[in-house]
Amino acid sequence: MMDFLHHILAFDAESPLLFTQFYFWAFFALVYALFAFIMESPLLSKSKVKSRLHLRNVYLLFVSWFFYYKTSGLFLLILAFVTFSDWVIAQQIRNAQTKDYGLRITKYKIPVATVLLALSVVIDLGLLAYFKYAYFFTNMLNDLFGTGFRVFDIFAYIGNGFSEAGRFSVDTIVLPVGISFYIFQVISYTADVYRGRIQPVKNILDFGFYVSFFPQLVAGPIVRAEEFIPQLYKPFRLSRRLFGLAVFWILNGLAKKIIMSDYLAVNIIDRVFDNPLLFSGFENLFALFAYSLQVYADFSGYTDVAIGVAMLMGFYLPKNFDSPYKSRNPQEFWRRWHMSLGRWLKTYLYIPLGGNRRIGFGTYFWWALIALVSAALTGWWWLLIPFTLLIAGVAVAHRRIVHGKWSNGKLLYSNLNSFITQVLGGLWHGASWNFIIWGGINGIGMIANKIWREMNWHVRFGSMTVLTLTLAMLDWRYNLPVWRLFAVWAGIVWTGTLIRYIWWLVTRDKLRITNYELKITNALADAWAIAQTFTFITFTRLFFRSSSNLDPATANEVAWATAKNMVNQIGGAWNNAIIPAFLWEFRWVVAMFVAGMVIHWLPADWKRRYRLRFASMPLWLMVIAVCLAILVIYQFVTADMQPFIYFQF
Amino acid sequence: MRPNQVLLFIIAVMVCLGALCMVLPGRVAWRGHELRWPTLAEVTGTEAETSETSETSEVSEVSEESENPEGSEGTEGTKGADSVPAQEPVVIPKIQIDSTLDSRIYLRAFYASLPEAAERVVRVLHYGDSQIEEDRMTLQIREHLQARFGGTGVGLMPLAQTIPSRTVRQELYMNRRKVNPYHGPQRYLSYASREMQRADGKYGVMSQMALMADSLVPGSEEITAVCIPQTASAHYTRWQVFADSSVHYTFSGDTVRLQGRGAVYGLSQECEQGIIVDNIPLRGCLGLVFTKTDSAQLADFYSGQNVRLIIMQFGGNAIPFNEKPGTIQAIVTGLREQVQYIKACAPDASILFIGPSDMLRQTEGEWQTYPMVPYMDRLLQKMAQEEEIAYFSLFRWMGGAGSMARWQATGLAGSDGVHFYRSGARKAGNAVAEWIMEGMMD
Repeated sequence: MMDFLHHILAFDAESPLLFTQFYFWAFFALVYALFAFIMESPLLSKSKVKSRLHLRNVYLLFVSWFFYYKTSGLFLLILAFVTFSDWVIAQQIRNAQTKDYGLRITKYKIPVATVLLALSVVIDLGLLAYFKYAYFFTNMLNDLFGTGFRVFDIFAYIGNGFSEAGRFSVDTIVLPVGISFYIFQVISYTADVYRGRIQPVKNILDFGFYVSFFPQLVAGPIVRAEEFIPQLYKPFRLSRRLFGLAVFWILNGLAKKIIMSDYLAVNIIDRVFDNPLLFSGFENLFALFAYSLQVYADFSGYTDVAIGVAMLMGFYLPKNFDSPYKSRNPQEFWRRWHMSLGRWLKTYLYIPLGGNRRIGFGTYFWWALIALVSAALTGWWWLLIPFTLLIAGVAVAHRRIVHGKWSNGKLLYSNLNSFITQVLGGLWHGASWNFIIWGGINGIGMIANKIWREMNWHVRFGSMTVLTLTLAMLDWRYNLPVWRLFAVWAGIVWTGTLIRYIWWLVTRDKLRITNYELKITNALADAWAIAQTFTFITFTRLFFRSSSNLDPATANEVAWATAKNMVNQIGGAWNNAIIPAFLWEFRWVVAMFVAGMVIHWLPADWKRRYRLRFASMPLWLMVIAVCLAILVIYQFVTADMQPFIYFQF
Repeated sequence: MRPNQVLLFIIAVMVCLGALCMVLPGRVAWRGHELRWPTLAEVTGTEAETSETSETSEVSEVSEESENPEGSEGTEGTKGADSVPAQEPVVIPKIQIDSTLDSRIYLRAFYASLPEAAERVVRVLHYGDSQIEEDRMTLQIREHLQARFGGTGVGLMPLAQTIPSRTVRQELYMNRRKVNPYHGPQRYLSYASREMQRADGKYGVMSQMALMADSLVPGSEEITAVCIPQTASAHYTRWQVFADSSVHYTFSGDTVRLQGRGAVYGLSQECEQGIIVDNIPLRGCLGLVFTKTDSAQLADFYSGQNVRLIIMQFGGNAIPFNEKPGTIQAIVTGLREQVQYIKACAPDASILFIGPSDMLRQTEGEWQTYPMVPYMDRLLQKMAQEEEIAYFSLFRWMGGAGSMARWQATGLAGSDGVHFYRSGARKAGNAVAEWIMEGMMD
């Protein structure tokens, strides 16, 4: 028992508190027992609701800090510092705004509130840059200028008593868990205070609770201040149905994470991504699609659990995923995928850049930077020419729009700003080039789709035909796997476009189409669009994965080599004869993937119904259902691994 | 719902799950399937500690045993079986090994041949499974030997390089049109599926051959291979082509053009004198294929090319599919036959056998060493001693059972628990090379 308690209480970097482990649930049960005591104890006067809520908030703050300490040790101090800094700055922003303080520089008066906001963003992003991007920037500088800089952990140096030797290593910078999430949360708070959307939180402990609420601290969702802070002052509210839904979300999340994500990862995805050359083209393609499902199941599973756990304590976190692989185009995908990040980027990056209404210094700055860095790091300085032409063209077009000579400003501005948002969003996901490439491809996909939707059917079919023929020619001429892959893909899209084009030609003059026909054709069109979007998103996943246990330079190299080798295998080492053998030998893995996709694509109404049915079942039956679900999940936790089988030699 | 009611619900679930721990301890067989559920001890962590200890103590236990050849019966096997709770106990027969023997004495003939490298080629063949694909491990052995005794070039490569090498990049053309190697000439492999095998056993020294002017593959009567060295040490001074006499070839820089009808057994970029170390990966192979290869062909190559060391690195592919000591014994017996066959074909060559690395599988939600890895390692060592060939235990050099997990954690091995990353392969290759080189000094 002492060992058990020690295991629960002491920091151990090797065993953080994860939702998928028994220790988390033991921890949560203990936390909830005291939580219930605070909320229900007759020792606390019923009339003092506010003090009870305050006590609850303080209690959950310390619980959350303990949770973070268990996960990240002394990085708790960084979390505490950020909490303190943004709390103080937000107070001062409101103070400065109330009193209209300003800094006068020559004839200009800069509001102090703006300076304070900038200070807050610099501190927050500075910390994020230091911990998350130090290796990335160091490598970039070394690559660009041939220098030999190495990272230096200043916090370890201070922790060692201003010495390089001591308890902490100064040669490595460890990324604090969840820093990307809580930094974005505090920025949203300070920005919302600056914009007057919310009042600053008076009590720092309440604010600390908002920043570090443990269910969403490690992997989101990114909760904006205006969504969460009002809940701090509302009494506990959990209807019977909401309780059932909370339990459902927890089980749903665990099942997604363990049954879907982990099982697929261990049995096929990891081994293929680790060494694509060992596997045939079909296996690589299957692993890539399975990886798409795994990423979704892993991430959304974790946030489902977070949402359920928070609900049990009477807090409501925003929905983070809305069946993203049902999207019919890339824009819709980004409205359904990691929605809290998407909203954050839209509110605090895309709209300040100008959104679809304008472009300004920020837009030009980021495009110039993207051009410069792309040219410098690839060594293809000629890239500057098209980029310069693009930026010059944008400037000319912008001028024409301002003078009312061109009306497509909305499309142009939104494309330019959303591309920047996608690239920076990619960088948020990980500090390496593959994530930037991933963001860039997503940006290109969104722009291409917007332009496509602006075209009429003649232009669509014509341009698709030209593209397909070009890729086919490239494949024929160079016979490289990458051209083969693109040519086949383009061929499939072209076939679909041809069918739709013919249908459009046949029906455009037909005045009477029955509702039934319309329904069928719309359903087919949706299915086609969903399949294309899913394939495109899956393709971008080639660049989404990097090894966390490698140093950043090697991780970049490995990520690039993995993407290249997978493309080579898919486009080159294809052998239809081995597909049946693979499907048979890996039948459980394949079945799991198919089941995952089928469940994902179930109509939202069906899902809502079975969720509500679960939520409404009697409590005794729910206890049994939970135990059975955990029993099933445990079978997957302990499932034996599929052994290696080679199909291609 | 009030918090107290929620708390009661949580308690009810925990009580029910705890009751299940008492009703369903470990595994329950049900209609041919196995239902698993942890015991209370496992949940509270006491069982887990035992399992961790078993992983870490494996190293010392194995090394102790190697000092004591009369080690207690079933030391390794019991350990392996313990790490898979509730499975049927695996009884491991006793293995007697002379742990005082430094098996490098069996490399003496190779060491003695090395001075010849000043005047002619001394060849080393490295056969292995997927662990040596892409020139992994072989590269380090080559670099060490060539740095000391001279020599350049990577040696043998197949005509259609379906598995890329990190040291030589190949482009293949048929009738001057670039083709993917998988869509190149018809290939026959002794270690692949039946339809890729041939009855006459004429696979050549690489255990694979490509057929030119095959009626099934249009354009295969004229094939051009451009083989571009990717590292400084891969540069070469001469080409060799091993093919039927009916195949004609010409060289131009990194390009070799072949015409005619017949089998091509391999291309080689090499030197006139010095050491050549050939990388010959046989994907998915147990190592039992040499006896299927025409002995005359092998003997001709071994003697004609002055092959003085043959490295065989096999065993890993037997592990995931065989959990019974009897099967492992049978496989090692098969490997013994291969060694004898190679010895007969190459009487002047020394043989070094490299055993499997540590290999992990996920069982009961935890990564554990396959129970048969230590057993196979010991059996192979015993076989090597009896056949008087050298043996390098990759498994024990890595640190024994569980060491692969440490390699994974430090970025040396992949998440499949079997294959090394390049960094890991470099480390292992250097270790083998240094072990060979140290043997010379003794």
